[in-house]
Amino acid sequence: MIKNYIKIAWRNLYKSKMFSLIHVFGLTIGITVCMMIFVYIMNEFSMDNFHKKGKQIYRVMRAFPDMKEGIPYLSGPYALALLNDFPGDIKRAVRVQGSQGLISFGDQSFVEKKLYNADADFFNLFSFKLLKGDASQVLKDPSNIVLSETTAKKYFGSIDKAMGQTLTLNKQKQMKVTGISRDVPANSHLNFDVVVPISNYTKEDYFNVWINNAMYTYVQLDEHSNAAQLEKKFPQFVKKYMGEDMAKFGFKFTLTLTPLKDIYFEPSSAFDGVKHGDKTVVYIFISIAALILLIACINFTNLSTIRAVERSKEVGLRKVLGALKNHLVLQFIGESMLLTIISCALSVGILMAAMPWYRELLGYHVSVSWNSAPIYLFLIGVILVIGFLAGSYPAFFLSAFSPIQALKGKLRLGKSGAFFRQSLVVVQFSITVLLIIGTIVIMKQMSFVKGKELGYDKEQVVIVPIDNDDIYNHMGVFKKELENKAGVASVSLMSGEPGGYYDRHLFDVEGQHDRFPSRTEFADFEFVKTLGLKIVAGRDFSPQFVSDSAEAVLINETAAKKLGFTAQQAIGKQIKNTVRDDKPRRVVGVVKDYNFLSLKENLDALIISPAMDRRVAVIKLKAGDLKNSLATIKDVYSEVAPVYPFNYSFLDQKFDTTYKTDIRQQTMLAIFSGLAIFIACLGLFGLASFTAVKRTKEIGVRKVLGSSVPNILLLLSGDLLKPVAVATAIAIPLGYYFMNAWLQNFAYKTPLQWWVFAAAALITFGIALLTISVKSLNAALANPVRSLRSE
Amino acid sequence: MIKITNLEKFYRTEEVETIALNKLSMEVNTGEFVAIMGPSGCGKSTLLNILGMLDDPDAGSYVFNGTEIAHFNERKRADLRKHNIGFVFQSFNLIDELTVFENVELPLIYTGVSSADRVKRVEEVLDKMQIMHRRNHYPQQLSGGQQQRVAIARAVVNKPKLILADEPTGNLDSSNGNEVMELLTDLNEQGTTIIMVTHSEHDARYSHRIIRLLDGQTVMENIMV
Repeated sequence: MIKNYIKIAWRNLYKSKMFSLIHVFGLTIGITVCMMIFVYIMNEFSMDNFHKKGKQIYRVMRAFPDMKEGIPYLSGPYALALLNDFPGDIKRAVRVQGSQGLISFGDQSFVEKKLYNADADFFNLFSFKLLKGDASQVLKDPSNIVLSETTAKKYFGSIDKAMGQTLTLNKQKQMKVTGISRDVPANSHLNFDVVVPISNYTKEDYFNVWINNAMYTYVQLDEHSNAAQLEKKFPQFVKKYMGEDMAKFGFKFTLTLTPLKDIYFEPSSAFDGVKHGDKTVVYIFISIAALILLIACINFTNLSTIRAVERSKEVGLRKVLGALKNHLVLQFIGESMLLTIISCALSVGILMAAMPWYRELLGYHVSVSWNSAPIYLFLIGVILVIGFLAGSYPAFFLSAFSPIQALKGKLRLGKSGAFFRQSLVVVQFSITVLLIIGTIVIMKQMSFVKGKELGYDKEQVVIVPIDNDDIYNHMGVFKKELENKAGVASVSLMSGEPGGYYDRHLFDVEGQHDRFPSRTEFADFEFVKTLGLKIVAGRDFSPQFVSDSAEAVLINETAAKKLGFTAQQAIGKQIKNTVRDDKPRRVVGVVKDYNFLSLKENLDALIISPAMDRRVAVIKLKAGDLKNSLATIKDVYSEVAPVYPFNYSFLDQKFDTTYKTDIRQQTMLAIFSGLAIFIACLGLFGLASFTAVKRTKEIGVRKVLGSSVPNILLLLSGDLLKPVAVATAIAIPLGYYFMNAWLQNFAYKTPLQWWVFAAAALITFGIALLTISVKSLNAALANPVRSLRSE
Repeated sequence: MIKITNLEKFYRTEEVETIALNKLSMEVNTGEFVAIMGPSGCGKSTLLNILGMLDDPDAGSYVFNGTEIAHFNERKRADLRKHNIGFVFQSFNLIDELTVFENVELPLIYTGVSSADRVKRVEEVLDKMQIMHRRNHYPQQLSGGQQQRVAIARAVVNKPKLILADEPTGNLDSSNGNEVMELLTDLNEQGTTIIMVTHSEHDARYSHRIIRLLDGQTVMENIMV
């Protein structure tokens, strides 16, 4: 019997090729999208799940009462103090410091940007697999170095050759390769190519200053220890070691423990150097997957039902010959499962082919784990759920027919059936319109953000990081040399370029009782000029005022406003950075607000001081030959830092990177909406064909009675477009609600204008109409004699 | 074999009620070949559907082989039907997606005959109908006469006691029609009861008895000699 069913199912598929194609194709696209999203979600939720001691590992965070995100950086002394003060609770403490370094051997040298300085226990705490070397030994001696497999091969061709080789780190230290680790998997929040023992740096001054932000500290708790209980003891601990500093600088913070598995999704500041994900995005994607699958399912049901009617004779006969209702239900559900299986097989093929493209879209390496259960469970789930859900309506609908009616081909899809099918189409198109609205609003918001008046000049501005000893020690020369070059307009050395790093410090301000928290920028006198900022009151830093370096600051309008001053009033006020300055400085000027943070964040107070802290050189070029100017910068760079490769970026590119995730989401949403529309239209095309066939006689009669082709076109299309109209009416308020909520993420929002919704409606209608017209036109143009004879 | 008494069947639409069978009574004995005749709309097809247990009467009694089945549910009717009754239709009603062999095999699948037995019995009956050489063809590749022979093969493969034929020659030319009637007569001679609805006086002459219907009632019975 089953063989017979499969045979019939296959031959039916083969017989109506067009229908089968729509049927299978629609479902295949749906399943493929779902699998892509599934792979992505599996990757997101499998973050750091490979660490054997994962359940006991925590990252120690500093939590400030007025900040929603914690600070992941601690200073060097914490780890030892924690081990010392909580011997029963903390078994291990490992410091990890993200860094970069110049590695050279023979006549080759490489800048490694993913270099970790870590405690010797690093490979004991984390389960990063070592291909060579013993976890307890590889970082034991300060002269040890561990390379990733890829790095080892890059240097020496093979991991065997790499072992035992001597490398020079930062032109100073001789390091011996003692271990090779397998490349860090994509589902790890930590990511490195090279690991160096942190013991090389423990004697440095900065390392032992408690208040510094320097490195992550991971702890392994005892199995019987409770993280929450331990956290309760931390205020005392902080007071013991940091009490004096906190009183002096006016800080207040405590320590918290973030479980390893939560690090990836914890809300983090932009400066946390480890990989982070956004749960909202995961949920958005899950919703999209569900919606697309629903659209595909609805298509499937509608098309199956329509097809089933065409098979009424077969159903009738089977009943006459003794088939019971459950035989038929089984047969049709089975067929629907067969179709789903075919679709799943096709989807797997498409997924494998599309993987490289998908990786690029996601921006990181995901892979499908074909040798583990979840993907198969997912596929089986899809087959059962879709095969069953989408197959059951036509199955029950068909098997309920009386055999006589079925045999005579007098099956009518009743009014309630029509209502059901139309409701399904309404659901489909509501989702489609919703996705289109989402896509339009997101695109609009992105272009709004990009086109926003930033308040600074981002064109033709080159950023060169001051990230190695040579450039750091010679940055003055670097600047002076550049300033003499023809293509360079101005150069400024600073702590953070717009969109970059802005530490938050506390200030004592004249006439204010409370300490004032503000973002800080440390920059030289060319800062305002180079970024093209405007001074609204007072003056810029100037070499004419010898005391400026030690005694002046600039503030932005927001800082003045928050302090309760007008720009004019702020001039001359005394202000003292509690962390950095020994004596107060005076406000010499107020700069017009500019967006130094991401546009997702509201403008914040900013205090610009000429005190030392230089991390980037920002170079404003004159309009003209960009290539030449870059070559010039490179030449100067190689004079001052000959062994280091020249790295640079453009400020406007940097700006795009800030919104990289948003742009990715936008692209993905656009692609998925496109697919949703496509699948929904496939279904509509099916419905249109069905309507055209069903109404052949009516069309014939109308034509004989004198109806014109446009009249008939209007008649057929009108009926089919009704559910699309209803869907649009439902989707617009929903779209407004959801997108309004999404826009709340941004400090600067594009308004939700009426045309967004009109455009979504228009796009949907346009595409739907186009789909329907193809079939309607055929029916309308047909010779009435033929259509009447067919009855 | 069949005894119906005061059988009634109505068709209702929203406003009109049509009487298809009006207190109809008749009897058919085992081994008989009965033709039912009458103008369009007289209730012939309704009667055949009820006799074939495809439809149930609104009132009256239907005794099949000594069992009252007028109020049987669908499952019981289906069970009784598949073991006892074969159908032959005017438009053949073969499944286009199945081959000749598979079409004939279908009733055996539903009665749970084993695969090996099925092959044997289908081949036997195809042989008898002289259509064996077409076993792997699809219905649309056959002539009308051949299709009807396949349909008859399908009707008899389960060795039913009763064959219901609804205008079996209606879609055939006269020579093919005669062939089909010969086949039915052969089956009858081997003991199968046959009830046939027909418009054709010529076909009716193959039967033992003609029942003439008008407006859902028997108006005349002719015994053929």
